[in-house]
Amino acid sequence: MAGNPTVFLLMVSGQIESAEFPEFDDIYCRYCWVYGQDWVITSGLEDGITQVTKKSHDDRKLFVWNFPLEVTFKSTNPHGWPQLVVSAYGQDAFGRDVVRGYSAVHIPITPGQHTRTLPMFVPESTSKLQKFVSWFLGRRPEYVDPKVVAQGEGREVTRVRSQGKVRVSFNVVTKDMKKLGYDTTPTDAAASTQPAVTGIVPGAS
Amino acid sequence: MAEVHVIGQIVGASGFPEHSLFCKWGVHAGGAWKILSGSREGQTQVDNPQDEQSANWSHPIDIHFSTKGLQGWPKLHFQVWHQDSYGRNELYGYGFCHVPTSPGMHSLECVTWRPAGSLREQISQYFIGGGPQLKNPDVVYTGADRYKLTTVTMGKVQLQLGIILRNFDKYGIEC
Repeated sequence: MAGNPTVFLLMVSGQIESAEFPEFDDIYCRYCWVYGQDWVITSGLEDGITQVTKKSHDDRKLFVWNFPLEVTFKSTNPHGWPQLVVSAYGQDAFGRDVVRGYSAVHIPITPGQHTRTLPMFVPESTSKLQKFVSWFLGRRPEYVDPKVVAQGEGREVTRVRSQGKVRVSFNVVTKDMKKLGYDTTPTDAAASTQPAVTGIVPGAS
Repeated sequence: MAEVHVIGQIVGASGFPEHSLFCKWGVHAGGAWKILSGSREGQTQVDNPQDEQSANWSHPIDIHFSTKGLQGWPKLHFQVWHQDSYGRNELYGYGFCHVPTSPGMHSLECVTWRPAGSLREQISQYFIGGGPQLKNPDVVYTGADRYKLTTVTMGKVQLQLGIILRNFDKYGIEC
């Protein structure tokens, strides 16, 4: 019998589906995964950029990316559970790239299918003069490192304006969390024990 | 030793009379509980929503507890504040909720309240803002001296929390 596992795996397949931004026309997203020190990506990309999409002209006024997310993490400790950070960018009236919103969400901890709606927010200028100058020059206030959105420290000094929402769906699979003693579902809903299927490693294809 | 992971977000708040809100949060647990990693308190950003009634904070919470007993299950407590365009802060509500005891994803709504002063204080609060605040913030999550207070209902704080428990079944705990 193999030795007791010391790591567990978290596999996520999902997509950045769509967004609603009532005031803007062309939007693209950058995404990245933010995770603690005990976590490592074993397969999949750490970050990426979606296509530029235009708003639909019907009543839904929807931006659709349908952008695939596939990643597998390995860890010894649930602390630092990975978060998806999404930053949306668009073009202003003068054709320059400006930021339209940031948001972050934890990957759901229970296996299964989950959909999340992320409210997007953007840092605000400190004064009306600065707001006009940044509109004129196309250099809106933005975060130097979007990963700031995934942490709690230092947020108390930021003032933001929230606008728009991005819809993301996740399919979550975990391996060996139960063997390490971690429960992510209530006991009476736990599935009956089945013999473990050996030879399948999530992420190898 | 049993362990509890609280992994989630303070999503936002709704039902408050003004926009431009932020939240100070903290976690309080009994003597048998110890925080192994994660911060036990924090403050969210100030959000001014463009097209909605609710404030969006998306403030991440990731706390790792270890415990020797069930008593004193951790509680999250909140203070919602309003920041006006001049940078002055006004208290909008206190609230608390227990960390859920069963593993899995939970969507919580925490109701909040604000102390109501005398009639004279209420009138001056209507015109110039400000208002009574608690001298001892512990009252928010204990019931001891609550009977002395008169309060007014304020809005709700939304949370999305994922709870992971470890080794609870080894000790015979059902949750």
